[in-house]
Formats: sequence, structure tokens, C-alpha cells
Amino acid sequence: MKNNLTREEKRIAWADHAALGPYSLWALLFILVPLVFVAYYAFTDNSFNFTLENIQRFFTATSSMAQDDGSMREVRTYLVIFWRSLKLAIISTIICLVLAYPLAYIMARAEAKVQKTFMTIIMIPMWMNFLIRTYAWMTILQDTGILNNFLTALHLPAVHIIGTEAAVVIGMVYDYFPYMVLPLYSIMAKMDIKLIEAARDLGCSNAGVLRRVIWPLSLPGVINGITMVLIPSISTFYISQKLGDGKFFLIGDAIEGQYVANNLHFAAAMAFILMVVLLVCMGLMRVLTNRHMEGGV
Amino acid sequence: MKPIAKLYTALIFLFLFAPIIILLVFSFNSGNSLSVFSGFSLYWYKELFHDTNTLGALKNTLVLAVCAALISTVMGTAAAVGINKLRNKYMKAAMNTVTNIPMVNPDIITGISLMLMFVFAGRLMGLSTSLNFWTMLIAHITFCLPYVILQVLPKLRQMDKSLPEAAMDLGCTPMGAFVKVELPEIMPGILTGLIMAFTLSLDDFVISYFTAGNGFETLPIRIYSMTKKTVTPKMYALATITFFVILVLLLITNLMDDDGEEGKQRRAERKAKRHHALGNRGKERLAAGVIAVALVVVIAVSALGTGQKTLELNIYNWGEYISDGSAGSLDTIKAFEAWYKETYGQKIKVNYSTYASNEDMYAKLKSGAVSYDVIIPSDYMIARLKDEGMLLPLNFDNIPNYQYIGEQFRGLYYDPDDQYSVPYTYGIVGIIYNANVVDEEDIGSWDLMWNPKYAGSILQFNNSRDAFGTAMYKLGIDVNTTDKSQWDQALQELMTQRPLVKAYVMDEIFNALESGEAAIGAYYAGDYFTMADAQADTVDLQFYYPDVTNYFFDAMCIPSCCENKELAEIFINYMLSEEPAIANAEYVYYACPNSLVYENETYIEDMGEDVMEILYPPMDGFAEKYNQYAYQNLPDEMLSYMNTLWESLKIN
Repeated sequence: MKNNLTREEKRIAWADHAALGPYSLWALLFILVPLVFVAYYAFTDNSFNFTLENIQRFFTATSSMAQDDGSMREVRTYLVIFWRSLKLAIISTIICLVLAYPLAYIMARAEAKVQKTFMTIIMIPMWMNFLIRTYAWMTILQDTGILNNFLTALHLPAVHIIGTEAAVVIGMVYDYFPYMVLPLYSIMAKMDIKLIEAARDLGCSNAGVLRRVIWPLSLPGVINGITMVLIPSISTFYISQKLGDGKFFLIGDAIEGQYVANNLHFAAAMAFILMVVLLVCMGLMRVLTNRHMEGGV
Repeated sequence: MKPIAKLYTALIFLFLFAPIIILLVFSFNSGNSLSVFSGFSLYWYKELFHDTNTLGALKNTLVLAVCAALISTVMGTAAAVGINKLRNKYMKAAMNTVTNIPMVNPDIITGISLMLMFVFAGRLMGLSTSLNFWTMLIAHITFCLPYVILQVLPKLRQMDKSLPEAAMDLGCTPMGAFVKVELPEIMPGILTGLIMAFTLSLDDFVISYFTAGNGFETLPIRIYSMTKKTVTPKMYALATITFFVILVLLLITNLMDDDGEEGKQRRAERKAKRHHALGNRGKERLAAGVIAVALVVVIAVSALGTGQKTLELNIYNWGEYISDGSAGSLDTIKAFEAWYKETYGQKIKVNYSTYASNEDMYAKLKSGAVSYDVIIPSDYMIARLKDEGMLLPLNFDNIPNYQYIGEQFRGLYYDPDDQYSVPYTYGIVGIIYNANVVDEEDIGSWDLMWNPKYAGSILQFNNSRDAFGTAMYKLGIDVNTTDKSQWDQALQELMTQRPLVKAYVMDEIFNALESGEAAIGAYYAGDYFTMADAQADTVDLQFYYPDVTNYFFDAMCIPSCCENKELAEIFINYMLSEEPAIANAEYVYYACPNSLVYENETYIEDMGEDVMEILYPPMDGFAEKYNQYAYQNLPDEMLSYMNTLWESLKIN
């Protein structure tokens, strides 16, 4: 009998490993190995000899940039581009978070049926091609576009948005908004309403409940949401082309530009640096938040 | 809900649906503009159903999404079960980290990394085409997997561990316990994962862009490659149909699903876990149904794919650069397939893919990972491909129709001995302006694009070579100079222009000029007419050629990766025959070097006098002028210098 049981156990353990097998192989071949290739290309030249030149170029290449007062100043080309991408991505992520948080909360507290409908409404736009949706935003935002016609009809002053950073941010917020709502909602739906009631009963104000109960409990969702919005918005190259009037060169544009110019090694170097920076940031963020939460994701 | 919550939600939804309302409305536009509405019509819907290439791309997109979603869901669920049972803490942490990588890596890195690996592996194995449907499928599965795993894992953690044990105590095998007890429990997670994977795959552009290869074009790639010509409301019509199909599907699932609701479950979870495991039948059946249907689709499609060995021809062309059956025109590809079958009695399948720029096409070819039989690059790119040994000399015995190419279009610089190319279209860059805004006395030269009077209304090319070209023609510099200081001078000129520029554009120029959003822009002659046709009432678009400007040729070539050269030559010859040549010339709206076209009376009549005048300006000394002002292939060093200058213009 005992013998039989261990055999059974062995079978179970074997089955579990077998379940993991295909994925492990897949992850090795198609997640890890490709990253090795990025590094390999980043540190080699066109004839695959080791070089640091590509990495160096990223940090040292300069060009002159017009200042606000009209004078010109030498700046580090790629650092400027990288910083701009980071800035716009961070702004977009914050706006997404601020907009999505109340919505996720409203959803999580609504009736089951309403929850489902909302979920559907949020998902639907994602099923329509993202290039086409971005294109439609051009029609809305341009100077003679729908938004301005609307404002003029209301006797309000027209606004100039297209071709500004604001337009690029709107595009990013729009495209990645669902990625923020979904993780927030799924964590808030699981939240125990009794905790909130208990806090209220104990005399906590609304703001207090939010700060001390809801926010800390929702942190894992917040982290996931931030990751899912920040990452794609930092590297996008279509939104900036269309809504930025081609004036906002982002790191995605730079990488794509080098790929198209057939400078694969420099493209890989930029990708490599971007990857390292993001991995470090994300790692840090998780470590810091894990300290605040017991358990973690 | 409180009123304020209601208002808030309504505003957010308005934000989410604003562009969708726009594309819904403009899909019914009778004109071809995306910003000027000229009247209600179902025209674009009719067009869509005649456009076999777009429908083909739609089919490809769906097949890819279904396959990727199913495979990643099965593999991801298994992986989640495995990860959940891992006892070794470090193993578990390692697996979790690896799973997170595709999520923490921007698309562009996932795309590039996979592309580099596929290309490398392809070379190692000596494959002529390492990028194809399968590589795209692998890429899509790879980025979908983490989403599935992260949906399923929490459900596994929430599950009562004693449940499967109890089942086994009661005599279930481990597999049986998994299927009967665990699976229903985690089904909501699996389903969410499946839907997410499908959605992500459907909407992905960046990763597909880098991993796309031979003859398998998805919708996003097709739309992206429309950047030289224009995105038409046809694509909006497609999006609108998608919208309604999804809406109906969702309504049906919602109705079917009433008995086993997920939302209620979430609430009831803690209280009645056991209960809901039993009350989950509806959802389970639905899932089974969805998966079954999807499987049938996949099997049917793969059966179709492998069933019959037909001849295949891979064409790689600019977006919107061939007559495709719209507006009652000839569907060139279909017609060729039919003609071939009739003439040679053999079935042939043409895989038609598109690119957005010469450089895009070059990057794909150069990677050595794709294999095309016919490509249609521009002159300077032909020179480059030829210099690098990437073109095959043509056998003109198979292209008798070459005789119809006008004498003046032969022996041009990019192919002086007429060995490698057959010209398809040519054109001249001119300046388009809104006569309601621009004063008569300001027109005539490149200076208009630098005129401070029109600050904020000027459009410049969003393409380095063309943008530098405008500055160089203006300054009287040779556009093919290898003198860096002259390039610096051109950059200075573009820097001066920058504060006046409204936008750097390619296809966006159509909307911007049609709607009056901008007033001045340089573009290719034929496109002016497309814009003028769609212009708003308040806009009056006019056109002129500056005295020196860019001439371009796009010509059909056979790249060295071609697998069936004779077939490719037969295709080229077919393209030169009267009916397709005229159809293409009318569709593309550029000048055609084929005398069967430009001497054809019906064509001349169709085009009209003013169009002919602009498209085919007087030919005296054409070749000379062309050879002097056309872009030629620049050495690598200059190209990369130009790219650096372009970046420094763009960071401002």
C-alpha cells in the first residue's frame, strides 16, 4: 500500500513537471535566447566583432538643439530622446492611473451585471485596430477637427492640440487606458468590503479610508497597471508619428529609424539600454512595494 | 451609483468611444477623406467586400489570433498549474521572473529580439525564408503566454487545495481530479486569459512589424504600409463592421451566460466556493463551444493551406500601389491568377504583401529572412540593390511587352543597360497649396515652403531623403552630394524652416490639406488630384512644379532571393499588358512609362486634359533632367550621416 502511494505521488509530481515542460522550453527558446541576441548585436559591429561603440554612441552622440531663447546648444541626442520618451510615458501613466482608479472602484462596487457590461465597454475599443483608432484621433484633435468645431459652436476659444506633447499624451492615455483599468478592477473586486465598513465604523473619514485601507490593498493592482501602461507607452512609435505631427521623436522612433536604416547593431544597442533601464526600474519598484505589503504579488 | 459617479463614468466612456464614433461616421463618407465629410454613402462597404487583399489580411489576422490564443492558453494554463505546484522557492521565483519578462519588455524589444534570433537561426539552417507565418505565430504566442499565466495563477492560488485531494481520495485519478475539479474552478481565469490573448494578438502591430515575412500580411501591417498613399474610409468601414460583430457576439454570450455569472461569483467566492464550482456549467459549455469552433477554423484553414500544392508567387509592393478591384476597377492579382490558369492550365497563388518605404523593404530583404519574387522599389533603391548583388538580371525573352516602354524611359542612371528593371510608374514632386490662403505672388519656387507668412501652415516630408531634398533643391545643392558640409548646410535650412512647419507628414498630408488644416506641402504629383477631389468647400487646392525638383521611378525587379524567376518574369510581362497596365495607372494615379497606357485614348480621356498636363509634363530632355535631379544611391557612410542629421532635426 505504501509503495503504491509513493508511486502515485511520483506520478503526480511527474505530471506537474510535464505540465511545466513545454512552457519552460518555450520560455528558454523564445524569451531568454532572443534577449541574448539583443545583447550580442548591441556589443558587436557589422562584422560581429566585439565593440562598445554602439553603447558609447548612445551616451555621447551630440547635436545642436534650439533653446527657448532661440540660441543653440549642444545636447546629447539620444539622452534627450530617451528622457522625452520617459517623461511622456510617465505623464501618461499617471493620468491613466488617476482616471482609471475611480472607475475601477465604481466598477468593483457595482452590481455583477453592471460590472460585466463595463468590462465589455472597456474592452471593445481594443478589438478595433490600434492604428485606425489613432488615425481617428487625428480627425478629432486637429485644428479644424471635431473638437474645435464643437468648441467654436459653443462660442469657446479653439485649442491647438495636434502636434503638441499633449496630443501624444492623449493618444497614449487612450490606447493604454484599458491596461490600467483591468488590473485595478480585478484587485478591487476581490477587496473585502467589510474592511472598509470596519474602518468607517471606527471613525475613519472617507479620505482616511481611501488612504489607509483601499489604496494599500489595491497596490498590487496599481503596480501591474503602471507596468502595463508605462512599458508600451515608452516605446511606441506610431502615436508620436501621427498625433505628434512627426515632431516628437521618441526612443521607439529612433529604434525603428535605425532598423529601417539597416543599422541593426545600433538599434539593438538602444533596445538593450532601454531594456536594462526598464528592468532595473521595475525591479526596484517591486522591491519597494513588496516591503509595504505582506505577501506581494 | 451616485450621480457624480455616473457622470464620471459617462465621461470616461465618451473618451473611450470618441474615436470609434468618428470612424463609424466617416465609414459612411461618400468622399475619400477621413476629415471632410461629403455625404452619406455605403460606397466604402461595397469597396471593402471587393477588396480581396484586405479581406485576405483580415483572414490572416484572425487565423493568427485564434491560433496564438488557443496555443498560448493551453500552454499557459499547463504552465500555471506547474508553477503553482513548484515546491522549490527559487525555481518558482525564476519562473515568475521569466514570465514577467515579455510584459516588462517593450514590444519593440520583444519584436527586435525575436527577429534577430529568427534571422540568425534561418541563416544557420540555410533557409531562404526564415520569417513567415510560423515565426509570427511563435512571436504572438510568446507575448500572449504571460497574460494567460497571470490570469490563471491567482485562480489556482485561491482554490481550496483540499478539493483535488478529496477527489483523489474518492478514487479519482490525478488527471481526472484535474479535469473534474480543478479545471472548472480555474475556468474563469482561463477564459479571461484566452480572451486577453486573442485581443492582444488581434491588436498587435509592433511585434508583427518586426517578425512579419513572406506572403503573410496581417491587417495592422497592411494599414501601416498605406503611409505613402493614404488610408481610406474603407479601413473605417472594416473597423465599423468589426465593432458590430463584436457587439452581437458579446450580447449573445451575455444572454447565454446568465446562469453562471462571473461577477456574482466573485462576490460569492468566499462564502460559497463549493457551490459555484457546481453552478458553472453555462460558462464551461460556452468555453467548450468557443474552443471547438476555433479549432474547426484552424483545422479547416490549415487543411486548405496544405491540401493542394499550387504554384506560388510572392509580390512585395508599396501599400495601395496596385489596382485592387475597388471602384469597379480591375483586381489585378485575381485577374493574373485567372489569366495564368487559362493560359498555362495550372493553378497559381499570388501572395501579395506591402511595405511603407523603400527602406522598410530593404531592411526585410537584407535580413535574408524573406523571399520575394517581384519587388517594386524606387530608382535609388534599385541602384543600391543592384550594387549589392541583390537583383537578378531579367530575361527579356519572357517579357516581350517590354517593347511598349517608351524610349525616353530606358537607360536611366539606375539601370543604364536595362538589365534589372522594368519601370512601373514615375512622377515628379511638386508643391500643393491652398489658393484661398496662399497669395499668387508667393508661388513658383521652393521658397514658398520657407515663407514666414505661412508659418504654421507648412507641411514637410516625414522622410529624411525627401525632406533634405527639398532643402537642397532650394539651395541649389546636388541632392547626391557626398560633401558633408553641404548636408550640414541643408540641415541648417531645415532648422530654419522648423519653426514654420506645422507637421512632418507622409500620408497625413492628405487629411491636412483636404481639410484646410495646413495650406502648403510638397508631395507626388498624382496625389494632388486625390486631394483636390476630396477637398472641403473652403479649400481650393492648386499645384505647381518648382523649376528643379525630384523625379522618381518605381520599377519592377526580381530580387536574388526569388524562387521562381520565370514565373516572376511572366508576372512582370502581364503587368505590362494593356488592361492591367491601364487599370494600375488609373488606380495609382502616377504617370506610367508604358506606351500602351499613355497613348491610349480612353485613358487620356478618363484622366482629362489638366491631369494629363500635370502628370506628363513635356518630355524634352527628360532623361537628362531625371539623371541630374533624381535621388541616387548614397554610400552607407552618407546614409548614416543623413540619419544622424535627421535625428538632430527631430529632437528639437
